[in-house]
Amino acid sequence: MRRNLYSLLIAVLLFAGGLAPSSYSQSPARPAVSTGAPLKVALPVKDGSVRFAVIGDTGTGTKKQYEVAETMRRYRQVFPFEFVLMMGDNLYNGESAADYKNKFENVYRPLLDQQIKFYATLGNHDESNQRFYEYFNMNGQEYYRFKKGNVAFYSLNSNYMDKQQVEWLEGELAKDTSEWKIAYFHHPPYSSGGKHGSDTKLREVVEPIFLKYGVNAVFAGHEHFYERLKPQKGIYYFISGAGGKLREGDVRERSPLTDKAFDTDLSFMLLEVVGDQLYFQVISRTGETVDSGVIANQRKKAMTAAK
Amino acid sequence: MKERAGLLAVVAVVLCLTPTSFIALPAVARTQDTQVALSPADKQVVAAFEGRVKEYVRLRDRLGAKLPKLSKDATPEQIEAHKKSFQDSVRAARVGAKPGDIFIPEAAALIRATIKDEFKGRDRAELRKTVLVESEIKGVPLRVNYPYPETQELLEMPPTLLLRLPQLPKQVKYRFVGRNMLLLDRENGLIVDYMLDALP
Repeated sequence: MRRNLYSLLIAVLLFAGGLAPSSYSQSPARPAVSTGAPLKVALPVKDGSVRFAVIGDTGTGTKKQYEVAETMRRYRQVFPFEFVLMMGDNLYNGESAADYKNKFENVYRPLLDQQIKFYATLGNHDESNQRFYEYFNMNGQEYYRFKKGNVAFYSLNSNYMDKQQVEWLEGELAKDTSEWKIAYFHHPPYSSGGKHGSDTKLREVVEPIFLKYGVNAVFAGHEHFYERLKPQKGIYYFISGAGGKLREGDVRERSPLTDKAFDTDLSFMLLEVVGDQLYFQVISRTGETVDSGVIANQRKKAMTAAK
Repeated sequence: MKERAGLLAVVAVVLCLTPTSFIALPAVARTQDTQVALSPADKQVVAAFEGRVKEYVRLRDRLGAKLPKLSKDATPEQIEAHKKSFQDSVRAARVGAKPGDIFIPEAAALIRATIKDEFKGRDRAELRKTVLVESEIKGVPLRVNYPYPETQELLEMPPTLLLRLPQLPKQVKYRFVGRNMLLLDRENGLIVDYMLDALP
């Protein structure tokens, strides 16, 4: 009888431990998730291409964030992306050493172990000190540039777009001869979100610079859904802010800005730059493809048309 | 005289035909214009404010230099420890700091006027919505020398406003908390100073 009681107690403890949120935060073990959708790659996977993923608004440490990470890991087996852009809100509700581990390191451990680099940007829930964090590769800077193949990436701090940053951005873009110029930051200049919507004040400052120096595509987060905007003044805008949080049903219906949106589950993006083509595929937490396509380099297209 | 008028007319026509992207002044140029537009009295106020900011920055830099330097590939433990040590040393050195030490009344008035001028009508309503309704900021202490709680979000500062406010060194930042504005140290997270009712 006593032995049965002990067995029951142990079973209850194990069950409770499995449900407790801390079980995710303390153990890097992969959760048993329903991410079994067959992997369908809508990208060319060409030799020498630039392959990367985009995630945003991730830092919750929840089971669903783990599930997105697991789907990313699975997709990497068939689409070997080399690095990940983070759209900000990397750590919600705290920045202790434990938060870094529970809401980032443990979640993406399988990718980190494969030497995948994460390039972060700061969201409104992120402290500036994240710029020193080894795995965010920000090199001690709140805004920075790096290059992969023929693509230059500009990680900006949209929380604080001050004169220094604007001058830096103009200076860097002015001398940048890269074939592709991609900017990413937290707040979306265009959005169909019901809660936030377009950040018009940010747009007023950065868009003229993007246009002047030929930025091809812009990625943002902040809105907890995926949205591909209709090209605005020739620039492609994407929102990928559902890597760990979802604001279900927040995309305004019949928004004139939307080309495609997904707000019923978490998601991430996979991208591949092959010459003057940028391929993209958007995948839900459970592994379904919710959007895909290809965009042509606008400057190359304009040059070809002019000939 | 006629020749000059003709030249002006040609320039006007050319400007009208030029795509807007070419004639749109970069944001930085707009800032410089704004700063040039300050009256001599306002310039003095800005200089006094900036002087006090620099005084704080010199102090925190001096104290920060005594701490082990945080590397560009620090561990979470190192980041946490550095922040705590930095906070402790600055708090000890500024134990008598009080509201208005940096946001002197004249500077606060100028900042209020700038915000009022920048956000009119719908813009102001939207900003108020953002800082008062949308933000999840609750429990941020309005206390000088206290840390901004790391569990609270940091509201985006409107870029068009940042370009008009007195420029700050990179060590400190403006932040809205409700209608109030903070001066925040970006590395140790301490509230260096604050001013009430910044947003009309």
